[in-house]
Amino acid sequence: MIGYIESVINGILMGSIYGLTAVGLTLIFGVMKVVNFAHGSILMVGMFAAYWFITLTGFNPYLALVVVVPLLYFFGYYMQKIIIKPIFEAEKHVREPITVIIVTTGIWYVLDNLALLVFGAEFRVAQTSVTGKMVEVAEMYFPLAKMIGAGITLLLGIYLYWFLKHSRMGKAVRATSLDREAATLMGIKQSRIYNIVFGMGCACCGVAACVLVPFYYVYPTVGVPFDIKAFVIVVLGGLGSVPGAILGGIIIGIIETVGAQFMAATWTEMLIYAFFLVVLFVKPSGLFGLRQDY
Amino acid sequence: MNLKKFIVPAMVLAMGTASFSAYAAEKVVKIGNILPLSGPSASVGIQGKQAREMAVDEINKAGGIKSLGGAKIKLLFADSKGDPTTGVTETERFISTEKVSMVTGAWNSSVTYPSTQVAERYGVPFVVPVSVRDTITERGFKNVFRIAAKDSWWTRDQFRFLADMQKEFGVKVKTVAFVYENGDWGTGFAEKWRELAKAAGYKVVLDEPYPSTASDLTPVVLKLKRSNPDVVFMTSNAADAILLTKTMNDLKVNVKAIVTSGGGHADPSYLAAVGKSAEYLFDIVEWETDLNRPGLKETNAKFKKLYGYNLTGEAVDAYASMYLLKDVLERAKSTNPKALQAALASTKLCGGKTGLLAYDCIQFDQTGQNKNASLVIVQVRSGKDGKMERITVWPKNVRRAGYKVVFPQPGK
Repeated sequence: MIGYIESVINGILMGSIYGLTAVGLTLIFGVMKVVNFAHGSILMVGMFAAYWFITLTGFNPYLALVVVVPLLYFFGYYMQKIIIKPIFEAEKHVREPITVIIVTTGIWYVLDNLALLVFGAEFRVAQTSVTGKMVEVAEMYFPLAKMIGAGITLLLGIYLYWFLKHSRMGKAVRATSLDREAATLMGIKQSRIYNIVFGMGCACCGVAACVLVPFYYVYPTVGVPFDIKAFVIVVLGGLGSVPGAILGGIIIGIIETVGAQFMAATWTEMLIYAFFLVVLFVKPSGLFGLRQDY
Repeated sequence: MNLKKFIVPAMVLAMGTASFSAYAAEKVVKIGNILPLSGPSASVGIQGKQAREMAVDEINKAGGIKSLGGAKIKLLFADSKGDPTTGVTETERFISTEKVSMVTGAWNSSVTYPSTQVAERYGVPFVVPVSVRDTITERGFKNVFRIAAKDSWWTRDQFRFLADMQKEFGVKVKTVAFVYENGDWGTGFAEKWRELAKAAGYKVVLDEPYPSTASDLTPVVLKLKRSNPDVVFMTSNAADAILLTKTMNDLKVNVKAIVTSGGGHADPSYLAAVGKSAEYLFDIVEWETDLNRPGLKETNAKFKKLYGYNLTGEAVDAYASMYLLKDVLERAKSTNPKALQAALASTKLCGGKTGLLAYDCIQFDQTGQNKNASLVIVQVRSGKDGKMERITVWPKNVRRAGYKVVFPQPGK
């Protein structure tokens, strides 16, 4: 019995980190209606940044947040401004700009291969003060790094929720997401909102990267497994919904961990996609999705 | 439009290219190489690529293939991404578009298996430096030649090793667990393990395939911990080997021994990544840097200088495979696939650069399997400087002098 409780809690911990990796994706999609295929690569960039920061300075791993998050914010901000915006302009009357998706795929390939070129294919693990530390509760073991990660996810979720609901900038972001034209007429500068949202989406990747590095390895295609999960999670939770992404992540985490206790781990992937299909049948917009998004 | 006007230049152009490639064929022997250069097995793929490049560079600098008028070997590389379909397409492309004389690759058994089928259909020799699935050389193919040991030999030796350890230390092993990646390689090993465990009278308490692209393997480790086996057998690629080793250490999984199957556990970045978490682990390999072989130190020094890490089993097999190809081309005196096939089948290549392998000669049996390929088992220990080290322990006659094996491993 205690083994199953341990599994459920481990599932929630890992799941909330999956949710964290998906938040940036859902944020960008919600506003720009663009699926950012470079998402996993941006996570990878963040992980390398965090890895080098931690390894070279030897500081507490979570101090990397201070450096990596702004770094990725500007990375995303200028990527949108310089690379994506011109293409977006050309397609601005389309609700879901397809060419932009292809451009983000291009960015994905360029970033992954650039990392392969610069850092090589080897796996790197940062040795930090929380690496390998376990918290023991009634004969159950939980990795400290994942517990901190889950806590950071929760804080980020609350902050983003507050930001979108109550801040002036958040309101402008939501207005743009609801109706681009109307928002522009109200004096909101659309292109600036897009830059900011893309920057924020990437900054969320930066947070996820700093959370992952203390207990995960880093290598050039590390984003890919998270990428695939993130797509499922954001659709499951409802495209554009921040709480949906975090909850979606937790659900996937629990299915994956608990499912594996009853069957071979190979089959839990099938279980995840089966659950995903059921949700799509019953509620096509996802758990927290808006009606107009499907 | 005047058709003649169009056709004539086109024909001239076609003849031009045809005569150009005929000219090129005299000077260059093209070898197609399929390797996982991206994806989860990219690091072994790149080792294979670099080792091939170093060997071919040496061969070409030493005057190329003398019996072909000093022809140079030209390597073409294709990235399989570890994906069978890509492997098949690239083999097709190498043979029908690039007109290569031979193909080598593809590391991932799941890629090698269908790719060799394509080569067999075209009658072009396919040399497999490493890919362990038995059936690759058990389909009656004439054009498939494997240098590395096949997986039934690996599993056989893992169990022989375990039996020897029990005898040497007077410890009884009753239960075993199998944890393996769910590709062709892992499932191939697991099939053999089941038979061997039954024959040896061990009880199998866990038989767990997992996807090696998994982002989290804690669920697998939790299950392993609950099943509480004496010995765990594992087959993993690099990324999952790192995750499993770290998680097993973190969750304090106590076993008498962990026996792994090369691959990810033999990857140079593995030990650096997991550090002390891998202490006492036993890994089976074809090859180890502490082997006492002539010329190994020099070649390793050169390799390390070029690429920044020590030679690995994968790299040595790839390196030796290029010298095998050179030997075959010299003897065949032709780039005709038929002649090359005949030359490969009658190979007896001993010493020289192939002497870096753990055995003396490359010789193929009628199935195309190198019958001399052999295996060793190493134990991972932390050295004085805190760096992890792989120490050869089995068979007993090649054990590093003065080393005391730790079996069973101490509890955590």
